[in-house]
Amino acid sequence: MLVTLASLLYGAGPVSAGDAIRALSGGGSSEARFVITELRVPRTLIALTAGLALGLAGALLQALTRNPLAEPGLLGVSAGSGFAVALAILLGATTATLTTLVAQAGALAGCALVIAATRVQGMGNDPIRLVLAGATMSALLLALTSMLMLLDQRAADEIRFWITGSVAGKSLAMLEATLPSIAVALLLSAFVARPLAAMALGEKAAVGLGHHPGRIRFLVIISVALLVGAATALAGPLIFVGLVVPFIARAFAGPDIRKTLWLCVPTGPAVVLAADVVSRLIARPSEMPLGVVTALIGAPVLLIIVRAGRLPSL
Amino acid sequence: MTPHIITPDKRNMAVHLALAGLLLLVCIAALSIGTVRISPQDTLRALTGSADPMSNFVVRELRLARVVAGLLSGAALALAGCLMQTLARNRLATPGIIGIDNAATAFAVASVVGVGVSVAPPLMALAGAATATAIAFGLAGVQGTRGYRFIVSGIGIGAIAGAVTQVMLSRVAIDAANAAYPWTVGSLNARAEQSVLLLGAGLAIAYLILLNIRRPLNTLQLPDATAISLGTRIKTTRFLGLALSVLLTGLAVAVCGPVGLIALLAPELARSLCRPGRIPLTASALLGAIFMLTADLLGRTLFAPLEVPVGIITAILGSPYLLWILLRPSPRSLT
Repeated sequence: MLVTLASLLYGAGPVSAGDAIRALSGGGSSEARFVITELRVPRTLIALTAGLALGLAGALLQALTRNPLAEPGLLGVSAGSGFAVALAILLGATTATLTTLVAQAGALAGCALVIAATRVQGMGNDPIRLVLAGATMSALLLALTSMLMLLDQRAADEIRFWITGSVAGKSLAMLEATLPSIAVALLLSAFVARPLAAMALGEKAAVGLGHHPGRIRFLVIISVALLVGAATALAGPLIFVGLVVPFIARAFAGPDIRKTLWLCVPTGPAVVLAADVVSRLIARPSEMPLGVVTALIGAPVLLIIVRAGRLPSL
Repeated sequence: MTPHIITPDKRNMAVHLALAGLLLLVCIAALSIGTVRISPQDTLRALTGSADPMSNFVVRELRLARVVAGLLSGAALALAGCLMQTLARNRLATPGIIGIDNAATAFAVASVVGVGVSVAPPLMALAGAATATAIAFGLAGVQGTRGYRFIVSGIGIGAIAGAVTQVMLSRVAIDAANAAYPWTVGSLNARAEQSVLLLGAGLAIAYLILLNIRRPLNTLQLPDATAISLGTRIKTTRFLGLALSVLLTGLAVAVCGPVGLIALLAPELARSLCRPGRIPLTASALLGAIFMLTADLLGRTLFAPLEVPVGIITAILGSPYLLWILLRPSPRSLT
């Protein structure tokens, strides 16, 4: 049953992309082929990658903090990475590899802060306070980013386009630059999936089962930072993807963290790709920033989760 | 929070006087400091129109309107925050955090970029503020405004409103979007004279009403049963307070955009300065105006000739404090 659902979700990505291509290309003329191979394919691949990375990062972070509201965008991890990239653009960085590294460093800092915050006494039991702290952190970083934009008009245009989140007009070189780190993060996640499930029982139980909470936490932070940094470098800060994707995955997978993690792998790309298609179609002939679409989809999900009366415990 | 002091409190008086004096100083500073520096004496003389023509022009024509706008919007935001905190019994429940600012901005931007509406920005901002409040309270449902759930709902509403603003800005010409940008992060640049006048009138009316319902408002800090037995009609008082808070936020946002955290910090500081047990309405308003003018002054002068919108300054200065509140190992009771 689960496998069928998973395969259905797997299909959702390519199918929606295929629909978009067919609807928009209108035949096999050379012009259309150019549009598809040079613009659509990179864009689709990038959306898939960003979705995969953000969805998985959200699921990992939620499992680690045992907080269904933990989301890279909400907790300031994306904002940290965004601020780092804005700083890099301002200082003149242009190469794809550098941007990715910088974004990942920013995400790492943001991630470490979040985990440090959850370790503050009383914080772990109060998911919503953590979210509020994250939102404040994001606001602070966003304000700093805006300030950087004011300081340099040339950089501002570049940053402003990038900061609302978009997968358009990005090159495959950018994608290649992020792939190795995403692969590493995937391996790491595969490695920590089992210990993470044990950590869900509580740290003492995890120690009793022969795991090392400190080491696991470290690995999870690293992989979340790699994933979020890569996604941010690719598509800008896409808020709420890390909330929506695990939410959907959990609805199918139930409480099993490992299943949730693996279901995020097909769900993430599907969600982001769908959002990207919506962003292309909704405001034709111009496009809406992808980050805006994910916010419009994600914020109601946040409200649903909060409204659900009780927070699903992880 | 035990109102054990019954005799008029001298300290309270002193605090208010000191704040008023400080506000006066900040006003004079805001009038005299800028690209053209004018000495304080000249500034005072220019106000009455008896300095040299250059100073007269700069102070009266350029800076005075800005200072008045900052003064009024800062006071209004702080007052709204103070009210909302009291009604929700939650000091984090301020209009900025529960998304009212963002919604008001979204509505006001809608009227500026003209998405099929031709209502003036202040009225649209009011409508936005009212809508967001209604949604936030609707979603809070049974649990009411006491919990964090209310606030997270607000974060969601704020995110939606922010996204809608982005959508509208991305659909208009780049010039219009660039012009509206400082305003969407909170700035005193985009003020329109009409909006400032409306804000002034609204603030005066709201303040007068608040002075009259001060007693019932104070009792709202007690448990409901106690407040009722003291003769407070809680539903009426609460509704009135909420309506005034929405009014003040909407009008202020129409003037200065969503300047965050003033509504949180000013009442917070006022509460620690003033006599416990009373809602520090006047002190909050004074502090709000002081914060707004100081932040705007910093924004104007720090990177001159560049101007940093005041909303960015308040976010950078205020967020660390908010984080500290949230992350303190043993937080004071949030009620």
